[in-house]
Amino acid sequence: MTRRGLAGRAMGAAVLCLLPGCSGASAGHVPAAATVSGTLITVSANACGSSWRHPSPGLWTFQVHNAGTSAVDVSLTNAGTGGVYGEIEGLGPGTTRPMTVSVGSGTYAFQCDNGSDGELTGPTATIAGHAPGGTAVVPAGVGQTLTAVTSERTYVERGLATTARQAGALLTDIQEDDLTAARSAWLTAHLSWERLGSAYGMFADYDDEIDGTAAGLPGGVSDPSWAGFYRIEYGLWHGQPAAALEGPARRLGQDIGELRTAYPGMIGYPQQALSDLALRTHEILEHAMRFQLSGADDYGSGTTLATAAANIDATRAQLGMLRSLLVTRYPDLPSVYSTLDRLQRLVDAGKAAKGWMPARTLSTAEREDIDSAAAECVQLLAPIAAMFEASPTP
Amino acid sequence: MSHFGSPRRSFLRGMLGAGTVAAATGYIARAAQAATLAQAPASDPDAAAYLPAVPFHGPNQAGILPAPQRQAIVVAFDLTTGNRGELTDLLRALTSRARFLTTGGTPPPVGLTGPPSDSGVLGPVVVPDGLTVTVGVGASLFDERYGLASCKPAHLTTMAPFPDDNLDPAQCGGDLSLVLAAGSTDTVLHALRDITRYTEGAAQVRWRIDGFASVPRPSGTPRNLMGFKDGIANPDVSDPAQTDELVWARPGVAGEPGWTRGGSYQVIRLIRMFVEFWDRVSMTEQERMIGRRRDNGAPLDASGEFDVPDYAADPPGAVIPLDAHIRLANPRTRPTADSRILRRGYNYDRGNDAVGDLDMGLIFTCYQQNPLRQFVRVQSRLTGEPLTDYISPFGGGYFFALPGIQDDSDYYGRAMLTDRL
Repeated sequence: MTRRGLAGRAMGAAVLCLLPGCSGASAGHVPAAATVSGTLITVSANACGSSWRHPSPGLWTFQVHNAGTSAVDVSLTNAGTGGVYGEIEGLGPGTTRPMTVSVGSGTYAFQCDNGSDGELTGPTATIAGHAPGGTAVVPAGVGQTLTAVTSERTYVERGLATTARQAGALLTDIQEDDLTAARSAWLTAHLSWERLGSAYGMFADYDDEIDGTAAGLPGGVSDPSWAGFYRIEYGLWHGQPAAALEGPARRLGQDIGELRTAYPGMIGYPQQALSDLALRTHEILEHAMRFQLSGADDYGSGTTLATAAANIDATRAQLGMLRSLLVTRYPDLPSVYSTLDRLQRLVDAGKAAKGWMPARTLSTAEREDIDSAAAECVQLLAPIAAMFEASPTP
Repeated sequence: MSHFGSPRRSFLRGMLGAGTVAAATGYIARAAQAATLAQAPASDPDAAAYLPAVPFHGPNQAGILPAPQRQAIVVAFDLTTGNRGELTDLLRALTSRARFLTTGGTPPPVGLTGPPSDSGVLGPVVVPDGLTVTVGVGASLFDERYGLASCKPAHLTTMAPFPDDNLDPAQCGGDLSLVLAAGSTDTVLHALRDITRYTEGAAQVRWRIDGFASVPRPSGTPRNLMGFKDGIANPDVSDPAQTDELVWARPGVAGEPGWTRGGSYQVIRLIRMFVEFWDRVSMTEQERMIGRRRDNGAPLDASGEFDVPDYAADPPGAVIPLDAHIRLANPRTRPTADSRILRRGYNYDRGNDAVGDLDMGLIFTCYQQNPLRQFVRVQSRLTGEPLTDYISPFGGGYFFALPGIQDDSDYYGRAMLTDRL
């Protein structure tokens, strides 16, 4: 455990160094004296950072000023590879914001994009020698972006079709008043839904309709507006009769059907869709930690560990869609997979012969092992979101 | 109890010390005596280490307008008193204790008649240390118990959950709210210990949370535990026009009873922040969720902390997103100007939760003239904001902070209890 923990810490340091302002040697603890502060960089409709006159290695804080009349995204790039060292999104007209970057040997250029005049690249600045600097992140190419986004769409559409079919089976069991079968069908359908990787509002309002909890409802678990998987789970495991559950089960099928129709229209432009996809690689497990591994979202079935396992499947699927982009950008990708494997082993151990162990029945040691592994996973996954963060406007 | 021939419950004797004064009114006398013994510890060479006393008497409670102090305790009580007379006694006792604690002085000696009258936590002479005591009443106080239903503040309700809330009933509501604020932790703890000691038998703590305000880092408005300056765009409390418009109750308007003059509606929301998750979010995303720069607090379209965002110049939200927290909370438009609130929140840190995650966040506290027109409208605009994934409101309540204590003969709620509608 100790060695694993130390390894995790070291990985964390490597992760940090993908961010601007972090030199490889000092991992964020750069002495203040090394900061070259207040170098004014002016950008406008026809100028992009021409004032960086005396480049030298070290930690630079540029004061980037937008002298133009529209908001602009400004980045410092590697003029050779196009890799980005630092970025300010949406720099408002007339405003000045700092960009702190660790600069090593290389060829640099500022890039400006105000969304209407096209991209503008400033003059290049070259620093000779072999001084270490920050790591640049190369933006995803169009082809790789489209491949990732298309594969996600296919994955989600197939998963929704599966969920819809299984929700239909759940409705049939309820209509036939076979609640034992219904409980089994519920779990099957719910896990298919959870394998889609929806977290924190991927499907907008449909998430609440299909998988919302009773939190925030005036009537709590008795609230008549409560719908979706958890509503049905609550009924199936709290002795509610089939007659009371037929309505919610029918509505679940309708909501999934509506989502299948609406989903293609909910996908953003490709860079945004890629950004969302990258964001979910850690958000799925963030969500699982808070609501499933804790047992918070257990409405009676005691299957939140099964849900967490499905969420791990979803995370793996998302990583698979991004794999070709990540292998060249993220040196810790192998660690991501090894920590996911560890988490999966620990969660799967909760599947007993008679069914899943409720999270609340885990021993302290079991719970700590799982939480610790999950925390290491999200820590390693979080940088992926930052690497592919899309500009707010296409 | 009956052998004392008093209609009051045991709390009225319990604080008297064993066998000293066997009359219910005695303890009130004693609380008042403590106050008359009060003297500023001016000769104390260490007095400079403490903040001076905040004047206790005035048209408003002294803890409402000032900026948050370093330390605070927020506590809600349910009352166990049986009738209006006992409620009056309780509020008189609370007033006496608050007057003494905020003024400071030497606790009265009891000699051999009982245990010492003060916990001693602040030493032999109680220092005021800037203590303010802010007392509020919840909607539940106006049920059938005390015959106060007809004089309930017009806009006082029980806090209903908002869509993104996850409220724990045990940490919500209460008959009485108490906000203790001072320069140091021992001062507020001493005050709480004193007040609960002198009100035992009459009030039981329902929930409590301790808070702190950070020192400015490096300057300006203190930061919350998300790392952002919080409370920048507050009404100007030095401008009576603004406080009359936004903070103080308006008797006679929309059914507001006359006794509410000088009071203010207090909204408390206990908000957990999922800081581990937040710390895994990129700076750009953090800033776009809030709408401000994290380094200096400036709106994303400006350069300085106190610059005013110009939303009219950015209709599509290219610089400050349309769903950024500051843009939804205060759109800076004429129709939303009267929904502004006076925020007086504190950070909280309660260690770690059952699964080892940090349990910290914000004791969001605000004062206003009408919570339905102000806080509820602001919070409704915030429904579904991106920030909701990183926070969870779990407790708190709506209260009415009582009018100020006018003079030595006045007490909390006097106007309310003597109101003749």
